Amino acid sequence: MSQHLISLLLALPLFAALVVLFTPRQMVGFIRGITVLAMLAELVASFGLLDGHYETAAMQFPERHVLVPTYGITYSVGVDGISLWLVLLTTFITPLATYASWTHIGTKVKEYAICLLMLEGAMLGAFFALDLFIFYVFWELMLVPMVLIIGIWGGVQRIYAAVKFFLFTMVGSVLMLVAILYLVAQYKAQTGHYSFELAELKLLLLPLKAQLWLFAAFALAFAIKVPMFPFHTWLPDAHVQAPTGGSVILAAVLLKLGTYGFLRFAMPLFPSGSHRMGPFIAGLAVTGIIYGAYCAWQQQDVKKLVAYSSVSHLGFVMLGIYSITSHGLSGSILQMVNHGISTGALFLLVGVIYERRHTRNLDEFGGLAKVMPAYAAVFVIVTMSSVGLPTTNGFIGEFMILAGAFMSAHLGISGPLCAFLGATGVILAAVYMLHAVLKMFWGPITKPENEGLPDLTRREGIALAPLLLLIFYIGLFPGRMLDSMKASVDTFASEYTNKLAQGDRHPTTRDILVVGPQTAALPQPASPLARLDAAPRKPAVRAVADVVAGGAP
Amino acid sequence: MTASLTGSMASWVPLMPLLLVAIGGFALLVVDALSDEHAELATLSSVVLFCAGALAAVLATGKGLVPPPSGVAPYLAVGQMSQFWNATICCGAGLSALLAGGYLHEHALERGEFYALIVFSAFGAMVLAAATDLLSIFIGLETMSLGVYSMVAYRRGSPRAAEGGLKYFLLGSFAAAVLLFGSALIYGATGHTDLAGIGQSVRDGHANLRLLILGMLMLLSGLTFKVSAVPFHMWTPDAYEGAVTPATTFMSVVVKTAAFAVLLRVILTCFSDELSASLRTGWPGMLAPMAAATMILGNFAAARQANVKRMLAYSSIAHAGYILVGVVTLYSGDEQVRQTAVSGVMFYLLAYTVSNVLAFGSLIALGSYAKEAVSYEDLAGAGRRHPLAALPFVLGVLSLMGFPPTAGFLGKWYVFSAAIASGNDLLWLVIVGVLSSVVGAYYYLRVIVYLFMKSPEPGAAIAVPMRSGYVVLALVLSGYFVLKMGVTPAPYIDLALSAASKLG
Repeated sequence: MSQHLISLLLALPLFAALVVLFTPRQMVGFIRGITVLAMLAELVASFGLLDGHYETAAMQFPERHVLVPTYGITYSVGVDGISLWLVLLTTFITPLATYASWTHIGTKVKEYAICLLMLEGAMLGAFFALDLFIFYVFWELMLVPMVLIIGIWGGVQRIYAAVKFFLFTMVGSVLMLVAILYLVAQYKAQTGHYSFELAELKLLLLPLKAQLWLFAAFALAFAIKVPMFPFHTWLPDAHVQAPTGGSVILAAVLLKLGTYGFLRFAMPLFPSGSHRMGPFIAGLAVTGIIYGAYCAWQQQDVKKLVAYSSVSHLGFVMLGIYSITSHGLSGSILQMVNHGISTGALFLLVGVIYERRHTRNLDEFGGLAKVMPAYAAVFVIVTMSSVGLPTTNGFIGEFMILAGAFMSAHLGISGPLCAFLGATGVILAAVYMLHAVLKMFWGPITKPENEGLPDLTRREGIALAPLLLLIFYIGLFPGRMLDSMKASVDTFASEYTNKLAQGDRHPTTRDILVVGPQTAALPQPASPLARLDAAPRKPAVRAVADVVAGGAP
Repeated sequence: MTASLTGSMASWVPLMPLLLVAIGGFALLVVDALSDEHAELATLSSVVLFCAGALAAVLATGKGLVPPPSGVAPYLAVGQMSQFWNATICCGAGLSALLAGGYLHEHALERGEFYALIVFSAFGAMVLAAATDLLSIFIGLETMSLGVYSMVAYRRGSPRAAEGGLKYFLLGSFAAAVLLFGSALIYGATGHTDLAGIGQSVRDGHANLRLLILGMLMLLSGLTFKVSAVPFHMWTPDAYEGAVTPATTFMSVVVKTAAFAVLLRVILTCFSDELSASLRTGWPGMLAPMAAATMILGNFAAARQANVKRMLAYSSIAHAGYILVGVVTLYSGDEQVRQTAVSGVMFYLLAYTVSNVLAFGSLIALGSYAKEAVSYEDLAGAGRRHPLAALPFVLGVLSLMGFPPTAGFLGKWYVFSAAIASGNDLLWLVIVGVLSSVVGAYYYLRVIVYLFMKSPEPGAAIAVPMRSGYVVLALVLSGYFVLKMGVTPAPYIDLALSAASKLG
């Protein structure tokens, strides 16, 4: 069973979606029940993933089936210390978001349930995929349910937001598709056969110029998804217009696919390109931290405030990733999970108040702590987690990221500067979050509408309790998570650094590429690396290499 | 002559799909004359076309494929590649006939000759796709086109149909004349009318170069007119809009497939030498900018339309652009890349056929008598009122958009990966292609937006879905293939590759 665990996890939501599809739409209660049950079963099944050997960096629970032999497309999936926690975050947040937001969805419950289930399946697929083709399929597949969720069940300007979200993501992903095709064509030229598998493509050595372009295409797709400044403009629209359940999943999981994409694909595939653009990306990350925080501070709409805070928080994550230190990387992965928990909780809380008052304007509130004490308490705790107060989960992540950036050899002299500027982001976070808390909960009750507001209901309490628990659990005992990601993170960092050094030894492999047809005629060695060693024995290769080196042929 | 035509019985097997369709066409005429019930004509014509298509699909794998009677060989190729085209054409034509069975009945336009026109046009398309001689190219082209001209003008009372039909007829005749002139020049330059002979003479350098280049340009212009590539696309929106929707479907899939088939064949047999296939001096220098212009203009013009049928017309122009990228890839000197490109174009056309039938079929299904779905406004909220009727439309536009895991995505992926594998020279074309397909995503998404996210204006006329077993069958069949080719593409890719490996 355990060797098919990942396929089971991918099939379960799809199967549940089919069941819902063939259920009469009048049976709303049954549809809601079966959806949440399926998601809970998914959560329980995903705990099985914890049973892997994460003390090594190898992929756990791997599965591999060739789909299209002619073009080397394989269904290749697996999980390691980097993706494990993001997968668990997905299976954890989705049922909560679904359960908590049912009351907001009055119409077309059936379609909503199908969208959520498909979305969960696609997100998990993207986290598990180890084949670029499969990854791209899942990556695109996530888009449709999310666009439908925003566009059908969203707010007043939902169509504008949905179309903007769709088009932004499309621009990035089609260019990534071109890059994938180019990469595979290079692999074919060097080895004589096709492969879309990450493990194979990672072995490819590419000239710096190609790496820069390919990295740029991948990075654009992922940066739009993260979203990094200045590609973030779709985010506030999408978040504000989406229904609560959609917002929670969008913030908690979907955005993580951008940062995860950098870690899993863009950086290991094109280390030299990534290295060259590293300072630039770190600069954008720091800009995003401060700009996002500033924008959040200026918002009157609580949901928009939380949306901009995401831009700021994910700036931290990107900064940690580009420190390429064990600390920074672990902190980033941890912070991805933290952001999922705290921002997910914030969106749920915003949904709670919106459902009662049908406004999210800060000026409409004030003194809510008196009428909704439990709500206020939860809100403040989540705020503390978001701000990064010690003993909450946010503190560990942000601290590790800033420490990583400070010590980073890759960022060099700009590392401490990035860390310093990033730290101001922490202060700004306290400013904008406490500003919102102040306006919402403290002071006298200015509006008569707020006087009779009911406190958290049992349903809302049940949805929020696990999140609160996790905020403190991760804050006090982060060791379990950090231990299991250590091996993968260290391997990531050392492979990245090694490949950079290797890239310097082979400044260009154009000589190999030019003689593609000849090398294709050779008997097949195990890997393209082996071919690199074998190739220069051929006289034709040497001649071309001379030309490349500037000598006469 | 008769002696050479009578081979063993087995040697007629590769011609069976063609003969089946021809005989079926005559049978339709007889049945139409003798009976007064029309509905069974749709059944008869689609059964004939699907049988021929299924037979061709089997032959395309190479099983039971024997050399044809020797008299046929100089004019028609009936090898694996032709059989693949036959299968695609019959599939598109059969699905169009099914759509016609529902549409014509619903809109009280049922007249027997429509089905005969579809079948004879399909026959012409099959001849065109298999033609290996300038003469058979012209005969096939005209047989196909005459049927299509009359199908466009089929709705006799409608000025739009008359306008579209006349425009298509006049421009089409002009294009046919250009093609014929080009053929004459090529004959003058090489002394051959058979494509293989022309190719030999071009490779040997015996041809009169000036005449040849002019002839080649005119021939290619005539053919790109039929695939509605920019700048020869002017007729497309009017003809597509004026025609009854099943005829539009037929034109957009069958005519395009046949024209691309012959374009591929002409380029592969006649103009694949280094000089004429060079990016700077040869036909790629003409087709590459055309492909870019077609993708850009097709997509941007489609995004501006308020009429869904017209949008689909412009989108079919854009798709011609994507396929042209695959055709331009044939400039490559690498045999493997060329095969990938040819099989990519074949796969794309098959995928495009089923996706486009799905889109047009859903448009037909969403309207009924006097309440036809034409504009986006007509579609507003239709997905909420009739989710089952709207669902195929969503699948259809997602496939046309090139969204995984549908046939359309695999098609784009295939064609573009061939172009990239040919080297860096076509990278710009691929980037233009994918970026313009984002524009495409906008207008295809608009269909989904109107179906599911908008409500009709109060008091506005709303489209009411029709009930027809024919249309449902066509939607189910094409929807099945859209998903099947997207999820398990391997058999189709292998079929296209093996058919592409032999130019026959």
